[in-house]
Amino acid sequence: MNPWLIAGMSVSATLVPCAAMCLRGSPERRLVGLEMTSMLVTIAMVMFAVGYGRTPFVDIPLALAILSFGGGLVYARFLGKHL
Amino acid sequence: MTAHTIFENGLLALVVLTCWLGAIGMWRMREPMQALHYLSLPATLGAFALAIAVVLADGANQAFWKMLLIAFILLATNSVVTHASARSFRARELGHWEPMDGDPFEFVRDTEKK
Repeated sequence: MNPWLIAGMSVSATLVPCAAMCLRGSPERRLVGLEMTSMLVTIAMVMFAVGYGRTPFVDIPLALAILSFGGGLVYARFLGKHL
Repeated sequence: MTAHTIFENGLLALVVLTCWLGAIGMWRMREPMQALHYLSLPATLGAFALAIAVVLADGANQAFWKMLLIAFILLATNSVVTHASARSFRARELGHWEPMDGDPFEFVRDTEKK
């Protein structure tokens, strides 16, 4: 266990309030929770990749950061027009 | 424990702190518009502190450049997604997002710009 893994687990624990946002309340609040979740998961994945000494796996949070941008925009557009 | 390690661990603690402050702040806000503001904490301070921590841990290798790219992507996309979300919240509430007469803020009309 090294500081990177401890930090990764601590950041992963922030997914609990994010889940509370995503699972309850208005669609607007759920969207904010989703956007925060994707950002925190990106950061936690980088920490785990460095903590386990598998730095090539930083590609995965990089892909997530790019794809979550598109996903967030699609949901925002859908929420404003259709939901 | 060297100063290098202490600084690296301090940066990791800063990243964890920004993530927790962002998540708790977002969760505690009543209005979604208020909660949106807390996205910027991990996207700006957290991501760049993590990039510095990566370069301290492993040097300026491929992981650092990828993390720096992630930090810039989060910085750039967070503002766009936040704006798009706020616009959709307003459109959903009022049926339009453009400023109208009676809104509690000043705005410049298109005809006034010309």
